Order: sequence, then C-alpha cells, then structure tokens
Amino acid sequence: MADFGTLCLLMALATAGWAMVASYNGWRIQSGELILSAERAVLATWGLVALAIVALEHLIFTDRFDLEYVASYSNRALPAMYKVAALWAGQSGSILFWVFILCTYSVIVVLLHRRRNRALMPVVVTTLSGVTVFFLLLLCFLARPFVGLSHAPPDGMGMNPQLQNPFMAIHPPCLYLGYVGLTVPFAFAIAALATGKTSDTWFRTTRRFTIVSWFVLGTGILLGGWWAYVELGWGGYWAWDPVENASFIPWLTTTAFLHSVMIEERKKMLRVWNMSLVIMSFLLSILGTFITRSGVISSVHSFTRSDIGPMFAGFLGLCVVVSVGLLLHRLPLLQSEHRLDSFVSRESTFLFNNLLLVGAAFAVLWGTLFPIISEAVRGVKITVGPPFFNEIFVPITFAIMTLSAICPIIAWRRATPHKLLEKIRIPFGAMVAATALMVAFGMRDLYALVSFALSAFVIATTVMEFYWGTRARRRATQERWLAAFWNLLDRNKRRYGGFVVHLGIVLIVIGVTGSSAFKKEASATLGRGEAFSVGRFELRLEEIVSRDTPNHEFLGARLAVLDGGHQVGTLLPGQNFYKAGQDPSSEVDIRSTLREDLYLIMTGFDPQQGRATLKAYINPLVNWIWIGGLVLILGSWFAMLPDLRERRRTAEARLRELQPHAI
Amino acid sequence: MAFSRFSPKILVSVVALVIGFAILFGIGLKGSMVYYLTVGEFLDRQGREDLGENFRVNGNVVSGTIERTPGVIGARFRMTDGTRELPVVFGKETPDTFVDGSEVVVEGRIGPDGQFAATTLLAKCPSKYESTAAGRDALKASMQRQAGKATPDSPAR
Repeated sequence: MADFGTLCLLMALATAGWAMVASYNGWRIQSGELILSAERAVLATWGLVALAIVALEHLIFTDRFDLEYVASYSNRALPAMYKVAALWAGQSGSILFWVFILCTYSVIVVLLHRRRNRALMPVVVTTLSGVTVFFLLLLCFLARPFVGLSHAPPDGMGMNPQLQNPFMAIHPPCLYLGYVGLTVPFAFAIAALATGKTSDTWFRTTRRFTIVSWFVLGTGILLGGWWAYVELGWGGYWAWDPVENASFIPWLTTTAFLHSVMIEERKKMLRVWNMSLVIMSFLLSILGTFITRSGVISSVHSFTRSDIGPMFAGFLGLCVVVSVGLLLHRLPLLQSEHRLDSFVSRESTFLFNNLLLVGAAFAVLWGTLFPIISEAVRGVKITVGPPFFNEIFVPITFAIMTLSAICPIIAWRRATPHKLLEKIRIPFGAMVAATALMVAFGMRDLYALVSFALSAFVIATTVMEFYWGTRARRRATQERWLAAFWNLLDRNKRRYGGFVVHLGIVLIVIGVTGSSAFKKEASATLGRGEAFSVGRFELRLEEIVSRDTPNHEFLGARLAVLDGGHQVGTLLPGQNFYKAGQDPSSEVDIRSTLREDLYLIMTGFDPQQGRATLKAYINPLVNWIWIGGLVLILGSWFAMLPDLRERRRTAEARLRELQPHAI
Repeated sequence: MAFSRFSPKILVSVVALVIGFAILFGIGLKGSMVYYLTVGEFLDRQGREDLGENFRVNGNVVSGTIERTPGVIGARFRMTDGTRELPVVFGKETPDTFVDGSEVVVEGRIGPDGQFAATTLLAKCPSKYESTAAGRDALKASMQRQAGKATPDSPAR
C-alpha cells in the first residue's frame, strides 16, 4: 500500500508536470489539442493525489506502524474521527492534504471555466499546475509521507491529546482551504498579465473564489482562537504566535483586495495595486504554509537547518520574479482611467483603508519574521513579543473602524460637506451618547472607551444605511417596509452582505476589547469547603472528583460558584491523565454568559493533603467574539449568494473583452 | 507619472500616514525586542548591557535538577545546551510538559544571585512533539498557561 501511494504521487508529479508544459505550449502555439490534453491531465492529477490520500488513510486505519508517518501520529486507540485528522497532523501528510485541496480547486476551475474563459484558461492551468508540481516535488523527494521504518513499533505514538478536539480537527482544513484558495485569483492574475487581457474579467471571474478563500481563512482563524480558548487553558484566544500570524497576514491583504477591487470595478483605478495585492496574498499564503509546517520561527535553530526551508525560499523567489516581471512588463496596460481627485470621497476612504490594512499586514509580517531577519543581518535571533503587535495594531484598528463608519455615508467622486454632515449627524450622535453613557457608568479605560465609542459609530452608520436604503426603496416602489427591506438586500447582496460582515467585525472588536481591558484573574490553593474570590464571584471547593475511562483518568475539583452569596452554578475543572503515557492535559470549565466568562483551571493537585490549586479568570464580553464570528459568516454567505446584477456585469465584461470595440 | 493621478492633498496624507506608521513601528519594535539565544550564547554574552536586560534562552532541562518546595508554586532547575549549564528559577505554575530532559524556552533576566529569573517558561517534551503544528500548539499551551500575563492579547497595552 505504501508503495502504491508513492507510485501515485510520482505519477501525479508526471501528470501535473505535463499539464503545466502542455498548457503553456498550447497557449504559445494556440493548439486546442494540447490545451485539452493539459486540462485532462489536471483531472488525472486530482485522481492520483486522491488515491494517495486514500492509501495513507488506509494505512492509518489499518494501524500499519511500520510506516513512519502512521507510527508518529496515530495509535490503535485513536478514535476514527482523529484517524482521519491524523492525515494533517504531520508535515508530509499536511502537504499531501494541501496538494489535494489545490488539485480540487484546479479541477473546479477547469470544469467551470474552460469554455467561458478560453483566453485566460491555458495560463491559469499552467500556473495552477506549476504550484502543484512544486508541492508534489516536496512530497516525492523531501517530505515523503510513505517512508517505512526498519522496526515497526507495537503501537504508534498517537495524537497529541490537545489536538483531539473537534475544533482542532476542522481548524487546519479550514485554514488550508483558505490558503490554497488564494492560488486561484493568483493564477487568474498571472493569466491576465501574461495574455495582456488585463481588463476586469480576471477579478470578476475570481471574485467568488477570493471571497470563499477569505471567508474560510477567517473562519479557520476564529476556530483556532476558539480551540485555544477552550482547550489550551490559559484563559485567552490569541497570542500573536507565528503560526496564528501566518494565517492572519494573507487574510489582511485579501481583505484589502476585496475592498480596493470595488474601486477598480467602478473607476478602473488602482489596477497595479490590485494585481499586487493578489500576488502578495498568494505569496503570503505560501509563506504561511511554510511557517506553519516547519516551525522554523519558534525554533532557536537556524533557518537553513529546516529541510524544506531552502526549497520554499527558492519557490517563493521564483514566484516573486515571475509575477513582478510580468507586472512590470504589463505596466503600460494597467494605467488608471480616472484620477483620484477628491480628498473627501469614497474612493479616498478605500485608499486609506487599503493602506492601513496592508500596513497592518506588513507590521505583523515584520514582527513574525523578525527572528529570521535579525539572524540573517546580525547573526542572532531576536524575537518581538505581543506588545509590539498590540502597539501597532490598536491604533490601526481604530483608524480602520473610523473609516468603515464614514465610508458608507460618503459619496463617490466628490462628497459635498453639507450632505456628509447631514448624514453623519445621527451616527455621530450615537457615538457621543454611547461614550457619555460609558463614562457615566464609571468606565475610565481610555483604550476601551475609544474602542467601544468607535464600535457604536460603525454600528450606527451601518444600521442607518439599512434604514436609508429601505426608506428610499419604499418611496420609489410603494412596497411595505418589510418587503422593501428584503428586496433591497436581495438586489444588493454584496453591499449589504458586506455591511453585515462589518457588524460582525465590530462585535469581535467589542469582545476583544472587553476581554483584554477588563480581564480579572485570581489563583488559590484550596482544601474542601475553602473558597476564594475573583471579581464578583466567590468559588468554593465542594469535592474532589475522580473518574476512570478506558482512555484516561480524570481528576477534578467541583466548585460552587457564588454570586452575591447565591449559588449560580458549579464548575468542574480538572486534568486528564492518559493511559498511553502522554502528558496530562488540563480540562478547563467555563461558565459562559453574554456578559462574561468565568474560566476555571485546575493547575495542580496535592494528593497527600487533598488540596487543589486553581486559577480563575473573568473574561468580560468574550462571547461576543464568537457571536461576531457567526455574524461574519452569515454576512459572507449572503454576499456570496448568486447575484443577478453581478452576473450581468460579468457577462458584459467578458463580451467587452471578446469584442473590444463593440460596446 | 503615476502620482499625478492623485490630488496633492491625498498624496500628503498618504505620506503622513506612512510616516506615522514608521514612527509607531519604531517605538513598538524598540520596546519589545528580546534576544533569543542558546545557553552557551547567553553565557558568552553576559554583561553586555547593549543587548538589553531581557533574554529568551533555549535549552534542555538537566535530568534530576528540578527542585520544588512544597506549598510554593514554581521550580528551580538547571538547563543546558549540551555543554554548559544555566541555573534557572521560575515562580509560576509549571506546564505539564515540563519534566526531566524536556526542551525549554525561558524568558527573563539574570538575577543578582547569578540565577536566571524566568518570567515565562515554555516546555516541549523530550521526544513527544516534533516541530510541527502539534508541537507548536503544545508548546504554546504550556507557554501561555504559564505566562500568566493578565492580558496576553491586550490591545490596551
């Protein structure tokens, strides 16, 4: 089976290589047969990679510990769900999974677009296959999943217990779907540059791919935060860890692209910038994959000692050279058709929003890569901690929020101050009122005040935007309020879906602000009947609980939660001691409400005296992060739904490209 | 000329934004740079005040050197890079993965008694985790459980 898997990968390398070469030459000499052959090779590559995955999963499920990968990441007792997830627990398996997702996207692109986008498709296929070839090369020669062991151990080492969590099982696939999805817009951008067909077809065609990737990447990041929160037991959800940052950076640049592309659509401006954003997002997704898989940054050891490091560096370099070369070559074609002349216009808010987002991305990238950069420049690794990221990120977030409050009410081209003042009155009033209320209730934390005030500002503008839109439609069509509201949304899915996404982001900001500015913590070592307090809660140890399961032994402390003398619930934090000999893992218990989370960890237990050491956190408003995440998902879905208006625009764009002078 | 497509007002604000950003960047970087060294590198650089006071040091726990006092949270131990050793004190809850032989990363400064006073401690089990997502997550878990910083993700500070 292992040999079969290796064979599949080698054959996939051959077919992907053929797809790349045939497609390129088919495009050069305009040979339909070669192009067709390349497209078929893409399908074949998908099939072969799928077979390799089936082979690896088969080996995992049949407990073949003579295979290094299976022995390292699985064991006999591992539940079936996590045996599936073992595919992406290690480096080579996750690269295999990465390739599979890329091949799947390629197949979708080929099936959807080979008839519709004949001009661009050959180069798109070449690019997608080129990326596939790189990762298959890694799999065939450097990070080989089907390597055997000379002596098979009786049982595998199993999966890290902390990864045995449903969120963790879906968090990596989500991130990968996002990372890999960014290859599709990149491929179309390269195709547009190579063919010189740089008008709007390429980004209209890939808009949905971009939104899907952006959305999945964002969901993946949130799931990772949630997992960290419920599983890792340190009371937080985000720590500016290199791997978290690696997924956040392309998300930021893609966010920037999704905004600035609207300017290109309407005004044919910022075209070089948009191309660059798509290329950057792709490069960052490759870099992110590398950082995630190699652990190179958290290690004190030199970058060059990572086995896949030089390959990745080479591939990234090649991508930079090709894309920048093409971009410079086509610069004359990418001239803006309009001038950005008014400072007070929606265009300029988009421009600043983009600068801020890309600036934020650059800051996170710089902070993340700083150990590598300092090692290269000064021969010693220097790390930068969370304070760096926070110091830069907080002001940028505030600025972006201000823009997103102003942007929807500012007119395109040139806004008249009078009109703007009229529209901004209500949202601005809401912000002032909210601030006054918070100060009256005794809030003194400056950052939190600013953050909540701006949140109120954005929410107010967004809500007013829905109201104004509905009112205008009602006046024009004489529909009833509800019908007008629904039809308004239905006809402008992108616009209003986008607003809902803004609301989701604001809720996340509110949650992050509350849980960082007003966090409380306390710890104590308690015997039975003793109590300690954190915030307004008092926690009393009722009893020590121990439970035995086939997989592990659980030892925990049951505590009564008292709020103002009344018992409002019990919590049972504890530790799992695994029979497979893995390290014990803490099981936190959380009393979660919309107002705050009471988060309790048992950090130690002294069996002689029967005393448990506990740590408690109060995380105010933390639930709003996850609620905001759901709102964000909802908004993104809505924006992704088929939109008649958009379909018409895309068809028109394509027609223009076919007959440049007809329209 | 590409810039002529933007009005001067916009160009000026873009430049202002970039400058503001650079200042923010410089301040942020200056305040949070920490050298990341092996035990040997750290001992060689001792006394160099130009490197700042806080350091991150990587090494392995010397087996049998972990000392704990009953009733007191934390531990004393020695860490090594294979040739030289550094005594460390840590005053917070130790992670589950902190055992004899595990790879640790400590952050802190050298105390007046010549011991390294660690404020954070990350530990990685001897053989269990590779440098993969799994290892990273385990490491992170232990780091953050121990870091005990009130606000590891605080935008406010």
